[in-house]
Amino acid sequence: MSDLYSGADLFGEFARLQRQMDTLFGGFPSSLRSSRVGAFPQINIGTTDDSMEIVAFVPGLTPSELDVSIEKGLLTISGERKRIVPTGSGEIRTYAQERFSGSFRRAIELPQHADPDKVQARYANGCLTISVGKRESSKPKAITVQ
Amino acid sequence: MNEKTQLTGREQNAISRNGSERPAPRTTLAPAVDVFEDSHGITLWADMPGVTRETLEVKVHDGNLYIEAEASVPTPAGLRLQHAEIREPHFARAFSLSPDFDASKIDASLKDGVLQLTIPRRDEARPRRIEVRTD
Repeated sequence: MSDLYSGADLFGEFARLQRQMDTLFGGFPSSLRSSRVGAFPQINIGTTDDSMEIVAFVPGLTPSELDVSIEKGLLTISGERKRIVPTGSGEIRTYAQERFSGSFRRAIELPQHADPDKVQARYANGCLTISVGKRESSKPKAITVQ
Repeated sequence: MNEKTQLTGREQNAISRNGSERPAPRTTLAPAVDVFEDSHGITLWADMPGVTRETLEVKVHDGNLYIEAEASVPTPAGLRLQHAEIREPHFARAFSLSPDFDASKIDASLKDGVLQLTIPRRDEARPRRIEVRTD
């Protein structure tokens, strides 16, 4: 079996297959809490003591094509990724078209202790990194025992 | 098309690693690709967010084209991951290449996390028109 998928592993291939199925059947979620595998962009979220870090994997866009906004505690990342139109000469054959294209929108509910006034966003190498500061009152602090 | 993600923590061990009896091959992610062919050759685009030129490797071996890369996103120290849709920052994918294509002339460029490869067709494999002489 490993010969069939030389190099790439099985989990990765399954994920790719599921992505392909998702694009074929359109946006019908299989349940209310649908799987995030087919969602674009994919998002990782982590926290530090001072901030909340959100990374959206949006390759192939420019910062001006990305729209990041916060409204009522909801952080929204939206934009549009254009389909690549091959411009070669002669007959053009398409062998694979797996990359996402079209408009996208993802929203993340910020926790109460996030400070919408302390947000920084930067885009590098296809990753959008958003850092949301925490309110002073929610930062961890040691309490001295009297 | 609203995607709403609750900011609750999620256990990181949701993906079970397979047993320890043999060193498990590194879990990798197959990047999404677009592949087109025209009369000049093949153009391939691959989504590889977080990959830089230094961590990307494109190689041809035994008629197979391998793309391997490691993604890295600068994060502040002490980060605790709460929700991860991309868990393994290793991209890998292999393609078999027809001998019609000239593997020594592959051109690769990486921009904004998208790898673009152009693989030209060998001159003798290019479609061409043959002039018919009339005597």
